[in-house]
Amino acid sequence: MYRLTEEGQRYLERGLPERRLLEILESPLEIKEASVKLEDFNIAMQWAKKEGWVEAKEGMLHLIEKPGEFQVEEALKKVLKKDELDGDIAEVLLSRKLIEEIRDDIMQRAKKLVGTEITELPEELISTGLWREVKFKPYNVESPGKQIHPGKRQPYQRFISSMKRKLVELGFVEVTGPAIETEFWNFDALFQPQNHPARDWTSTYQLKHPKHGKLPDEKIVEQVSATHQDGWTTGSTGWKYRWDPEIAARLMPRAHGTCLSARTLASGPDIPGKYFGIARCYRPDFLDATHLIEFNQAEGIVIGEDLNLKNLLGILEIFAREIAGAEEVKFLPDYYPFTEPSVQLSAKHPELGWIEFGGSGIFREELTKPLGIDVPVLAWGIGIDRLAMFKLGINDIRYLFAKDLAWLRESKVV
Amino acid sequence: MPKIEISLDDLRTLLRSSISYDELEERGILFVKGEIEGFSDDMLTVDIKDTNRPDLWSVEGIARELRGHYGVSEGLPKIKIESSGISMNVNKKVEKVRPKTVAAVVKGLTFDDEFIKQIIQLQEKIHMTYGRNRSECAIGVYDFDQLVPPINYTTVKPDGIKFVPLDFSEEMTPREILEKHPKGREYAHIIDKFDEYPLMIDSEENVLSIPPIINSVYTGKVSQETKNVFIEMTGNSLERLQVALNVLVAAFHDRGGTVQSVEVNYPRETVVTPDMTPREFSIDPEECRTLLGLDITDDEMTDLLKKARYDAKSVGGKIKVKYPAYRNDIMHSRDIIEDIAIAYDINKIEPDPPKISTIGHADKTEEFSDIVREVMTGLSFQEVLTFSLINKESLFTKMNMEEGEVCEIANPISTTWNSIRSWLLPSIMDFLCANLHVEYPQKVFEVGDVVVIDESQETATKTKKKLACAVSDPDAGYEDISSILDGLLRSLGIYYELKAKDHESFIEGRSAEIIAKGESVGIIGEIHPQVLNNWGIEKPVAAFEIDIDGIK
Repeated sequence: MYRLTEEGQRYLERGLPERRLLEILESPLEIKEASVKLEDFNIAMQWAKKEGWVEAKEGMLHLIEKPGEFQVEEALKKVLKKDELDGDIAEVLLSRKLIEEIRDDIMQRAKKLVGTEITELPEELISTGLWREVKFKPYNVESPGKQIHPGKRQPYQRFISSMKRKLVELGFVEVTGPAIETEFWNFDALFQPQNHPARDWTSTYQLKHPKHGKLPDEKIVEQVSATHQDGWTTGSTGWKYRWDPEIAARLMPRAHGTCLSARTLASGPDIPGKYFGIARCYRPDFLDATHLIEFNQAEGIVIGEDLNLKNLLGILEIFAREIAGAEEVKFLPDYYPFTEPSVQLSAKHPELGWIEFGGSGIFREELTKPLGIDVPVLAWGIGIDRLAMFKLGINDIRYLFAKDLAWLRESKVV
Repeated sequence: MPKIEISLDDLRTLLRSSISYDELEERGILFVKGEIEGFSDDMLTVDIKDTNRPDLWSVEGIARELRGHYGVSEGLPKIKIESSGISMNVNKKVEKVRPKTVAAVVKGLTFDDEFIKQIIQLQEKIHMTYGRNRSECAIGVYDFDQLVPPINYTTVKPDGIKFVPLDFSEEMTPREILEKHPKGREYAHIIDKFDEYPLMIDSEENVLSIPPIINSVYTGKVSQETKNVFIEMTGNSLERLQVALNVLVAAFHDRGGTVQSVEVNYPRETVVTPDMTPREFSIDPEECRTLLGLDITDDEMTDLLKKARYDAKSVGGKIKVKYPAYRNDIMHSRDIIEDIAIAYDINKIEPDPPKISTIGHADKTEEFSDIVREVMTGLSFQEVLTFSLINKESLFTKMNMEEGEVCEIANPISTTWNSIRSWLLPSIMDFLCANLHVEYPQKVFEVGDVVVIDESQETATKTKKKLACAVSDPDAGYEDISSILDGLLRSLGIYYELKAKDHESFIEGRSAEIIAKGESVGIIGEIHPQVLNNWGIEKPVAAFEIDIDGIK
């Protein structure tokens, strides 16, 4: 019993060298030219001359006759199909190293299976062609496959990744920042007075260790301080109290993503420019079906000369359509400490009805001017935790950070 | 943010209009930045968003604002103040304790249940938010006819006087009130550091109250029989107190009361309160048009302002506005421009997306993290997401390590979450520990942030992105995890070396440092059985943790 060698396989795919030679000899050809044109030229010449199909004369090759069929090729096909081969031609193929004998042990193993009913299909039956002599046991092909667990993205992380792609497509540049912030960036730079109740222990975390960080660039600190005290040159009355740098240097896990926007404004951003960040935020809350001990916020800004409230509503409408898949939007006047005017966006979801989608506004000048920005800045925040719950069909917010491996394995990829 | 309950009937009476529920819900309530969150049996639950507008935290204030927007009465509300002829004397001793006070008298009131409820609710909301939980503003309302003026604001030794506080029937000293009375315990921290406590007392030694704790039963209970009231407020800032007093007397005024002033005699000056003189501000109409993107005339602007209860007129290219003295939220022209937008109705403004063309891009580390996640899932690992809040025991003790330096929360809500993780593997161990009965092998990874102490940084810390990956199975071992690491790093095109290095969390002789670009970027090995015992995990775990920026 034989099988094809690599060379035999190749000739079967591309045609024998001698066949390919005859095919280019429709008219006489210079030997030199033929040798360039034809791969395996020497092998082709050897067999074509031997069979008397070609003749070389004065540097030219002439076709003498073309056989009806190439015996060697036919034989190769038989070997491939594991058909019987008669002795003479087998010798030729063996001498041309186009086939090789199948090892005896393989042959023996294959022969043992002849006449039996098999379940698995062993290699030796394939290589010897003896699969013709066995019976295949039919399977129950209608029962579902055995369960395996593919490697999958965590559903909420996957949602966040797709949200980021969406924002990048809308022309926003992603920014990141430290999880531990000074109160300066978390509050003071956002014009939150130092005695504001949002800054007390029940509303935000503070650090036991390390306790204090450094304040940024002196000029910015001075401008922020002056704005808190008397409004500086922002046209504001300010909060009218003594601003304390000691409080501003205290460290805390960031309580919102707006610190990213403040840092971006202070870092000399492109004008016009669009920036966003997705920040892990921390606020003292107990873990239950509707509260997390830490959460994610998507925050962004659009900076540009002459931006106005109409533009803010325009960008909110795009978000509602592109990100929440909303059909209809509604704007509600709202209050946020960092923006004036402030607008809340409500979006009508095809199945869920009206949902509160995000907060937004035009940053107060008491925030932008001390950070060195003299043009309007549209700011928005999207509650992505809730949006993800809708999208993933989760009712218990803890599942965004699911600790249940079985649930993660079963979760649908959406 | 303040949530208040009001009666729709009461609102209609005060508004002098029979506004429908639908109109109120869809349009009316937006004029006061409110949202109706519940409606049953005539009672509305309203969320008033603005934490700087105490004047809107009662039905009287909401009605006053809506009367403007619905054309019942526009412009600055007129609140007339007469003199009561009475005075309040402020003793020098209060200076170090609770230095400021203001007062007013309102006469000719008819209290009904709804009115009493609104006044109590308004006081509570002012105490909580505006009054910083009574530390900056505490309010006392008394039956005026029970008092003998002048009133004295002074201090008293903790055991220096006895009176019956509200909700109790026996006489108590201030010290006993701070120890035993529920309000005393709740607010003791504001005054218990002082040798003497604030005291409000009339000329015949009748105690009015121990501000900011509790009123006395004798004077401090307002009922349906009460006709005339005396109001005082104490705190630290005169300006702050005056605004709150104005809010309260405006509500009483709208209920038909006659507001009268009180002379408050401080040691060095006399202040007459309440002072309802309107405040003034001037805005540039051009700034308004530019900021809102609206083509409205100066006249339209002044009309809108009048609806929002301002007085406004065009003077020399500017708009001069007067606003009521119960508002203290106006710091900047923007605050007034927003009121113009609200009076205009923001849903009538045509949205117009900014015509700014920018090229977006992701943050480099974040983008690379997503590539790492893709390769890890391709290696058939399940991504997990865990909290970054954790505790020192999990970070160190349970990992078989000496306690090290880490970011610690000063006011944790629970000891389970009192620190921010400095490495990821403890979170992964915690995850495995929660899944002991889930089918093995368990192969999980997380790409997430950790925080390490670094005094050289602005925030004395550094937030770093890490990848941690673990396989747990009865026959999981070093080879399993090292082939995953190899598959990952070769896919990322990173040349790396492993250098044997012992680590307390791993079995001796079975852990190594991961070296890439000449730097140590992580650790890999078989988790120490002691660590497995500490977490209650009964299958071997092999794991690695690697610095994302180190292999980027």
